[in-house]
Amino acid sequence: MNIQAGFKPTAAEAALVEAYDKQLGDLPGDGATLAARDALLSDLKTAGLPTRRIEAWHYTDLKSLLRAVPAYRDEMTASRVDPIVPGSTVLSVTNGKANLRSLQDGISVRSYADALLDGSAAERLSERDRDDAIGQINGSFVRDGLSIEFADGLEVETPIEIQSVQNCGQVSTRFPVRFGAGAKATVIERHLAVGDEAALVTSVSDVRLDDGAEITWIIFQSQGEADTHLAQFKASLGANANLRLYVINGGGKLVRQEIHVAVAGEGSNLTLRGINLLGGESHTDVTFTVGHNVPHTTSSEVIRNVVFDRAKGVFQGQIRVAPDAQKTDAKMSCNTLLLSDDADFSAKPELEIFADDVQCGHGATVIDINHTQLFYLMARGIPENKARAMLVNAFVAEIVEELEDEALVESLEGVITDWLDRHA
Amino acid sequence: MPAVQETIDQVRQIDVDQYKYGFETTVEMEKAPKGLSEDIIRFISAKKNEPDWMLEWRLGAYRRWLTLEEPAWARVNYPKIDFNDLYYYAAPKNQSGPMSIDDVDPEIIKTYEKLGIPLREQEILAGVQKSKVAVDAVFDSVSVVTTFKEELKKAGVIFMSISEAIREHPDLVKKYLGTVVPTTDNFYATLNSAVFTDGSFVFVPKGVRCPMELSTYFRINERDTGQFERTLIIAEEGAYVSYLEGCTAPQRDENQLHAAVVELVALDDAEIKYSTVQNWYPGDKDGKGGIYNFVTKRGDCRGKNSKISWTQVETGSAITWKYPSCILRGDNSRGEFYSIAVSNGHQQVDSGTKMIHLGKNTSSRIISKGIAAGVSQNTYRGQVSTHRKAENARNFTQCDSLLIGDRCGAHTVPYIEAKNSTSHFEHEATTSKISEDQLFYCLQRGIPEEAAIALIVNGFVKEVIQELPMEFAVEAQKLISISLEGSVG
Repeated sequence: MNIQAGFKPTAAEAALVEAYDKQLGDLPGDGATLAARDALLSDLKTAGLPTRRIEAWHYTDLKSLLRAVPAYRDEMTASRVDPIVPGSTVLSVTNGKANLRSLQDGISVRSYADALLDGSAAERLSERDRDDAIGQINGSFVRDGLSIEFADGLEVETPIEIQSVQNCGQVSTRFPVRFGAGAKATVIERHLAVGDEAALVTSVSDVRLDDGAEITWIIFQSQGEADTHLAQFKASLGANANLRLYVINGGGKLVRQEIHVAVAGEGSNLTLRGINLLGGESHTDVTFTVGHNVPHTTSSEVIRNVVFDRAKGVFQGQIRVAPDAQKTDAKMSCNTLLLSDDADFSAKPELEIFADDVQCGHGATVIDINHTQLFYLMARGIPENKARAMLVNAFVAEIVEELEDEALVESLEGVITDWLDRHA
Repeated sequence: MPAVQETIDQVRQIDVDQYKYGFETTVEMEKAPKGLSEDIIRFISAKKNEPDWMLEWRLGAYRRWLTLEEPAWARVNYPKIDFNDLYYYAAPKNQSGPMSIDDVDPEIIKTYEKLGIPLREQEILAGVQKSKVAVDAVFDSVSVVTTFKEELKKAGVIFMSISEAIREHPDLVKKYLGTVVPTTDNFYATLNSAVFTDGSFVFVPKGVRCPMELSTYFRINERDTGQFERTLIIAEEGAYVSYLEGCTAPQRDENQLHAAVVELVALDDAEIKYSTVQNWYPGDKDGKGGIYNFVTKRGDCRGKNSKISWTQVETGSAITWKYPSCILRGDNSRGEFYSIAVSNGHQQVDSGTKMIHLGKNTSSRIISKGIAAGVSQNTYRGQVSTHRKAENARNFTQCDSLLIGDRCGAHTVPYIEAKNSTSHFEHEATTSKISEDQLFYCLQRGIPEEAAIALIVNGFVKEVIQELPMEFAVEAQKLISISLEGSVG
């Protein structure tokens, strides 16, 4: 398998191709799966990684930003940590290997490696969107993950934490999750690193909400300072389904978190809340698309970004209303606190509307801390750094408080305060 | 709003799918052979009696153009343009440049009269219009006449066609031409640099407030031609000028290309106000014909405290690809962009602005109102960016879209790029249809539906209309209601 003539791969592109050739022998999968993997990788060989000329990657030129690809290291180990919300049921994936355990009746958990081996994953693996570099890399290299199914009508009180712990090297995981009709649950998808050396993590969550399901899904990413994290969350919503999605980024060196939601059933609703805590020399890109494909659906998105140091943040959000998707109500806002002169934030909130009887809007702001508020606190004897920390905290915590579950709110606020204490 | 009643009358009078300025003028034309080559560029340059440096400049641009690819990122679809199947030069016979009004072909004068643009100064003074407006009339590839030149000259203002300026004021042209939109800028601007045929040149010297409104009226008349005009406006320290641009074309089944470049330069404390009412032929109700309008407009606030303001009313053209921008280089400079883009039938509009904040304490304001009807697609695409050193940059952006009918599309694509902590950006956008409550309120009071829509739309765009000079505001209001003709029901 040679790289095509005329195309000069970067070091990272060459390393990815080489890694594939090296791992090919022990990547799980039947014939169909392997064929799908080959097809995905051959695209990478011909086109390379996306550059800023590709509109979907306008602010994240992966070709130049991805400098190196750490080698796959089978010998490394990692062990699970305590869940964010005490008492959660933990399903852990350590260094890319799923640790299976059986849960209560009505929840079936399988290893994704099995689906690769029996070929049932192949079809979904080869389905990919335009400019889908993450799907492409993940699909080529994915070894394991969890396939989870929630039975119709099942209501789960305790949060379930899918915990992916990584210790250096390379890992690609997938999480196909189906919530049956009317199911209710809270899932925390958590990515963290324990090693000091760089890791390349790719992860795809492929979620389906059947009619009337009511789900809270929280993604919390706290990779190491040298890590690359390329993740995708895809969801499709059935009629009257309600997805509350929280995405919190607080780590990594190069992060791209894509969120693609198809609001495909009448009466369904998406609530997206994002918190990006950015510091150091990191580059974090949250790219979101929501497709309102049928009439009478709603969505609301609020993204709050806090940017310190020399960090660079990106938010691309697109609300798409299909022809005939009348009575859509969609609102998106993206607010950024830029706290350093070397920090950088770019936003591209898009509306793409093909139906007339809709209410759609977006707002975006980029500002510094409000000086009147700062003055107010300082006038009451609070030192400046503390006052600033309070205001920053209030700016993001506001969003977390929308979750009514007290244990959840408390745990997430703890995580945010921890991060701010370390950076502010 | 006195114009409202007028708007309603206008709506009643005119049938669906009628473009008022679609007539053709029969006048003997002289054309360059079809196609584009270095020879054609030499031909154009020779026709215009240009100095050698200008020819070299054009040829440099042409060679660069050959290496460029047509941009494909805009949300517009059209069949591939064969750039070798166009006439790049077409001028009325015996008219290779502006001349005295008595020598101009009466047919052409009649054409402008029909368009409501009086070219005879005495007629203008006869009292039809309240305020004086100097006009540069461009007919296909040449400027046919420029009015009030003498009076402007007394004030020190130079207002003439760019071809004349290249001959008469080569130093000024050389100093500023291509400094805002370089010949390497983009596909269409580079093409324009190679083949531009005419346009206006305005120079307002230090401390002068231009005594009247200046305007250019562009008319495409000939078949199979492309119009490539180039406008250069310079306001020296403390100068002020308000400039208006209007455009129309005959109604034809074929598509015609219009690729213009406009460059504005504002030095310390200068202000330029540039207003456009763009009403090129939009094509018929089935999307046949119409002008492809691919325009690069950019203003450079080069000096401290300078200000550039763009106001545009876009109702015509089959395809609009246009982003009037401001480079806010001088400290405390200000950029403004007010836009109304109306699309109906099969029109496609991809328009917006760029505000590039480079200097300290720079501010910008963007108000964009898009109205989509029929099966048209209307996109706002804009960029606001700050440089790391542009302390205290401020931007406010508001883009609202109104949808009339369920087969059209309205899109908003803003790019917001902040690179320092003192910049302060606010952006908001909304998309909705005409509120049923408002419509019901009007209908209940006996206002027919179409008139009610015109009334509501006029209210929607009022913020922008207010920015237009008086003479234009009335015309623009009429235009908007005409463009929306037939969009009800």
